[in-house]
Amino acid sequence: MTAPQPSFKARTDAALADRTLKLAIDRTTDTAERKRAGAVAAFPQFEAARARGRAIKDHVIANLDHYLEQFERNATASGAKVHWASDDAEARAIVTHICLDANAKLVTRAKSMLGEEIGLPHALADAGIERVETDLAEHIIQLACERPSHIVWPAMHRTREQVAELFKVGHHPPPAADDPATMVQSARRELRVKFMSADIGISGANFLVANTGATCTVTNEGNAELTTTPPRIHIVTAGIEKLVPSTAHAFALLRLLVRSATGGELTQYTTFHCGPRRDGDADGPHEMHIVLVDNGRTRMLADEFRDMLRCIRCGACMNHCVVYRQIGGHAYGGFYPGPMGSVLTPVLDGLAASRDLPHACTMNGRRAEVCPVEIPLPTLLRAWRRRGWRSGLENGLPRVAVGLWAQLARRPALYRLGSRIGVRALRLFGKGGWISSVPLAGGWTRHRDLPRPPGRTFMDQYRAKQGRKRGRP
Amino acid sequence: MTARNRILTAVRRGLGGTRRPPAAIAAQAAMLLDDPEFIRPALVATTLPEAFELKAAVLGTTVERVASMDQMSGSVRRYLAAHALPPSLALQQSRDLTGLDWSGIETHASIAPDEVAALGIAVRGIAESGSLVIRSGADKPILLSFLPLHHIVVLRADTLVAHLDDYAAIMQGEAQPRNAILITGPSGTTDIEGSYVRGAHGPGFLHVVMVGS
Repeated sequence: MTAPQPSFKARTDAALADRTLKLAIDRTTDTAERKRAGAVAAFPQFEAARARGRAIKDHVIANLDHYLEQFERNATASGAKVHWASDDAEARAIVTHICLDANAKLVTRAKSMLGEEIGLPHALADAGIERVETDLAEHIIQLACERPSHIVWPAMHRTREQVAELFKVGHHPPPAADDPATMVQSARRELRVKFMSADIGISGANFLVANTGATCTVTNEGNAELTTTPPRIHIVTAGIEKLVPSTAHAFALLRLLVRSATGGELTQYTTFHCGPRRDGDADGPHEMHIVLVDNGRTRMLADEFRDMLRCIRCGACMNHCVVYRQIGGHAYGGFYPGPMGSVLTPVLDGLAASRDLPHACTMNGRRAEVCPVEIPLPTLLRAWRRRGWRSGLENGLPRVAVGLWAQLARRPALYRLGSRIGVRALRLFGKGGWISSVPLAGGWTRHRDLPRPPGRTFMDQYRAKQGRKRGRP
Repeated sequence: MTARNRILTAVRRGLGGTRRPPAAIAAQAAMLLDDPEFIRPALVATTLPEAFELKAAVLGTTVERVASMDQMSGSVRRYLAAHALPPSLALQQSRDLTGLDWSGIETHASIAPDEVAALGIAVRGIAESGSLVIRSGADKPILLSFLPLHHIVVLRADTLVAHLDDYAAIMQGEAQPRNAILITGPSGTTDIEGSYVRGAHGPGFLHVVMVGS
């Protein structure tokens, strides 16, 4: 689904040169990181809850066939219609057919990353249906004709000043001032009319509750309920990994999800949708459709990427990723950015089209530490690197360089001599504790500093220490 | 083969081995919720109303406590006056509310897209998170909780439960409404540079009148 675009290197170069982008990312990620740390500190049971959250997701995945059938049974009993889609094309076709059959002109949509993954925005446009994004951030990027750059804050890459420019053109009348509060009020006015006149509302799901057949969605703005209540038809699109056994299991995961995502304890609105309007209900849609989407998930289940199916889409891994914070979400090129995206995008787009992503990681282990369901992200990224290597996708300089290194590593004496020369030479370029430029390696050092190595290699220091020990009486 | 069969077949093939009986799966699922006190936060106060009030305040929900339903309308009048709002209210058509003395306030069942204030009843409250539970139903329009700028909610103190899982245990035995919502604070957004703004799409103000204690 990814459109042809410049190379990963070209995208990152452009992102790194964009100082406004860095400013915008820092403004949101700094707050997110601080608030998450506070929320975790205030929840001493977090580590135990995290281990249990992981166990719940592992249990669901290990019994996924059972839970899918149970969910289908209960959702159908509630009056909802359950659809199954093997891939993005099938999912798009199902949703577009429902819209066209209902003769829908206007569709409101509450933010869903799965909707992006299956290419719903384009599919609706192609079918001639007006689509209105109702989450504030999605509204901003719809006005900017962009894709989300973060899974929780899709418009993170936009500064307040840039949002003001977009609203000035896109809102009628334009907002009276460009402070966030006035702009939010303007969006509230602008979108209210759309909510009330939509034919169909489309949402995603954070959880699918197997034993009730309900879908669960969390929002802070209240746009989900305004999207799903007034229209005649409500459509939910969800990945098959979103199942939980019961509402109580959903709550156990919600405690982790919200703290990890925004640093709150619970989102303002945690909403459970279970079927269409009941007889006599004061409001609500007359039809509810749930589209269960595979799109690569059963492939992951069968191979080494099964752990990734635990992901609850909190975005903590990107907020804490040094690479994401330098280049932002768009440079990754996939629907899901950051570390979790670097694992998922090769599944969705194929490794050949995204082989740079598993390398765009310092492997510092930070995001595995903050992951609320203990996904071993570095291990999974390494698995993609290994596959890329084996399938011959890594060519040219890296292959030659690693080949040379392997030759050297097999000759310990030569290797030690090489490292001795290396650390001493590197020291020459250092100022204070850091090296900020090395001849012929400008591409590497332009955006990074290297710690200045000590004058002697590890092996030399180790030997000296052992020698001193032996010398002692 | 239908997509449904393709997916279920792929899941079973991917998982491999023989599938476990539903009773064994249910037993394991239940075990995953054992010792709930180890995986949930403790209450922030010793009584449920106090804990609810403290948690609700964190997100800017205001709470007034009154002794009985008779004092409800007086409390709502004070709220409208304190915020300099017109004496007009979209009222949930529950007999508990319509039966009260609303003299001096114009009440109506309809909910306008730009409704200023609305009054409804919460089905329950949850002390752990300061959440209100509202549900769709014949006299319970969902839009009553989302269209107005000021959302006023009656919460009976004796409907408070301690934890999210306590609510889950209660609702498990009940018929599921089309829509059940945990409301935890007024609508808000951090979508512009992470700065917090209230009243994004839903109510910018959430006021709880807690009855009894």
